[in-house]
Amino acid sequence: MNRVHRSTLANGLRLAVVPIADLRSTSVLLAVEAGQWFEPAGRPGIARLVAQTMLRGTKRRDAASWASALDDLGAVARLDAGAHAAVFSAQCLGDDLGALLALMAEAVRTPALADAEIEFVRGQTLAQLEKDERDTRAVSDRAWRQLVYPAGHPFHAPAIGDPAVVRSATADEIRAYHQRAIAPDGAVLIVAGGTTPEAAKKAAEDALGDWPKRAKGRDADHPPVTLASTKRRVELVPDKTQSDVIIGWPGLPRTDPRFTAVRVTNMVYAADTFASRAGNVIRDQLGLAYYVFSGIGASCGQSPWIVRMGVNPQNVHRAIEVALDELRKITVGQIADDDIALAKDKLVGELDVALESPAGVAAMVLEAEMFDLGDDHFERYPRELRAVTKDQVVETARTFLPPDRYALAVAGPALPEALV
Amino acid sequence: MLYALEARHAPVVSLWVWYHVGGRNEVPGTTGMSHFLEHMLFKGTQKHPKGDLDRLLARYGAQWNAFTSEDVTCYFETVPKAHYKTALELESDRMRNALISLEETEAERTVIVSEREGYENDPSFLLGEELQAIAFSRHTYGQGVIGSKDEIKLMTRDGLYAHYRRFYAPNNAYVVVTGDDEPERLIEEAAAAFGPLDPSTDLGEPPKAPEPEQHGERRVTVHRAGGTLPIVMLAFRAPRATDPRAAAISALTVALAGTSTGSDGASGRSSRLHRALVETGLAADVDASFQLMKDPYLFFVDATLRPGIKHADVERVLLEELAKLSQDLLAEAEFARVRRQLLAATAFNTDTITWRSYRCGQLLSTGAANSISEWYAKLAAVTREEIRDAAAGLFVERSRNVGHFVPEGDAS
Repeated sequence: MNRVHRSTLANGLRLAVVPIADLRSTSVLLAVEAGQWFEPAGRPGIARLVAQTMLRGTKRRDAASWASALDDLGAVARLDAGAHAAVFSAQCLGDDLGALLALMAEAVRTPALADAEIEFVRGQTLAQLEKDERDTRAVSDRAWRQLVYPAGHPFHAPAIGDPAVVRSATADEIRAYHQRAIAPDGAVLIVAGGTTPEAAKKAAEDALGDWPKRAKGRDADHPPVTLASTKRRVELVPDKTQSDVIIGWPGLPRTDPRFTAVRVTNMVYAADTFASRAGNVIRDQLGLAYYVFSGIGASCGQSPWIVRMGVNPQNVHRAIEVALDELRKITVGQIADDDIALAKDKLVGELDVALESPAGVAAMVLEAEMFDLGDDHFERYPRELRAVTKDQVVETARTFLPPDRYALAVAGPALPEALV
Repeated sequence: MLYALEARHAPVVSLWVWYHVGGRNEVPGTTGMSHFLEHMLFKGTQKHPKGDLDRLLARYGAQWNAFTSEDVTCYFETVPKAHYKTALELESDRMRNALISLEETEAERTVIVSEREGYENDPSFLLGEELQAIAFSRHTYGQGVIGSKDEIKLMTRDGLYAHYRRFYAPNNAYVVVTGDDEPERLIEEAAAAFGPLDPSTDLGEPPKAPEPEQHGERRVTVHRAGGTLPIVMLAFRAPRATDPRAAAISALTVALAGTSTGSDGASGRSSRLHRALVETGLAADVDASFQLMKDPYLFFVDATLRPGIKHADVERVLLEELAKLSQDLLAEAEFARVRRQLLAATAFNTDTITWRSYRCGQLLSTGAANSISEWYAKLAAVTREEIRDAAAGLFVERSRNVGHFVPEGDAS
């Protein structure tokens, strides 16, 4: 990893710059603590509505003019509301960094949030929600979240939100959320690629230096989520060929010191279709699925820790049994030493390979900065991965992935037998 | 053929092996064979039994995969540079020594069926497959790549093995490598790995099934239950990658739909189709695509409709927009924007070592250009007149294929 140049602007915005020689482009990530975790209770979808409307005109220019200015640079950009943060992500030519950050700042700090634009975003979001209702991946995700997280919890619904909330959100509610949540304190700006620390800092100061600091309410405290028993839900999605299956558990915050062991455990179990145990058996040995993978989100809450599979309805029951059986083996220590060594090697090796792209570098730095993992994180992290023991993997699986208490969601065609 | 590029910004090497075999080399009844074979190349050789390659590459943290298209089958791995030799050893070994056992063929068959079933869940795939099929009456491009479920079930081990021995050989492959070393050294090591391999003796001539001129619009409608959003998809006959118009058509794609996809992205919103369809509330999403192909293929335009909007209304607006580009020059400012987007996108893609290697291999294997810089120069030289003329040549009614996806009531 090239050196990370860190600084903090007077308003509290943290800046991390990673210059990469020989590149013409620069990746930019501005993460503001305005994701699902910070949404008003019981109002899933507000964060995304705000994020999308911020891209539709500013107090200075209308949506079409702002979009043309962005395209004039040849830049690509988007603004997504994730589990933790709302992230403006972009790529531009290195010389255009100042102009890109100026456009970004305009959208983030002074969006018009005009009534007509709110209605446009509402219409687009409802269209996507309608499409999602017949998408087996989206349906299984929605169903799984409803099984695990109680109503009112920020992860009860996917980031796109609940259709009733999207329909009922008022312009005042959207403007109030922007006023409350979109602020520089807690925010992080990452710049990686064809730039210099000086040029990036100047561009950041010019665009965001006078962004007023605000005291943000930090009332996002939610009781722990636990699964007392196994929960299952099957949702019929008509005229589909394949079932989407999610088996999962509530995870743990990225700041938890056990997260490194979680990453290794995840890799041993199912993170990779080819290198992990679940995929090896389900796809390679039994031919039951084209893809099997697991993942855990990085947030300050209990993001989903889930295994996903695409399976023919005839094979759903068996694939689930095999996935759980592989997990049981891990919880009783039936893990080859080489499986753990492989998982660690892969996670460490991926850190090097990610350096091939400015976006890969920016993503790694964002996680480190967002969750205060320390200035020496990139030196420590490979060592910490290497230090994870078999006992820790077993303990992590027992604690967070109990095979007798899980949430299962299946979406797709009718199944030949009931899931028990 | 071996080709190397230097990229010093990260300690990795990206190795790509391109075989000149894909859907175009297949005949009805065995459609999907090249794709099936791609899966079998991960099932082991004498030297590296099944699982060896997966675990070795995983151990390096490699980014690796493979894909099959109508024209080519491609394998790649991006590895820390210390492991470049191992990547070469794995690729050269499976170029001629894959086992393709009967047992593994049977085990993989259900995986490929599962892959196909996953695609079938997506209305865009279903419509695109049907549209591709009606757009070609002779050329094998009409068959697609993955094959039907029945064909996948009928594929034999011996057929796969014969296909393998015929097409997987150094005299039918491009090796493109990009990474943190001098190109001469990268090539030298690749030559040492692939040079000793025996060539195929029965490659034969490339498939020749020229597609006759189309003399009238063709239409297809796909009905599925479930209430997802309707889609309109248009496919026009488009020239091959070596055609002098290919760069102008790439620019035309940007004028129509920008360089990024997805309706929730911020970029591409100044494009013609976004303004005419998304901003007006007719469509939730629009796209246009032109692929560099060995033979004349298709230029696709598609729109996912907003709820309650009629196919005919969206199709009409799409055709109006295409007609405008066929008749009028882009305004100077719009042309400058399109050109900037096109050239910037090239820089974005090629700043990632894996995609720099891919782009180079794609240009070489299709004959579009001899290098990324040559292709960049072609894009940079495109004029407004060439874009208009390219549109006029493409968007004609008699070579138009139109597909509608019609969601129907809940079948449950």
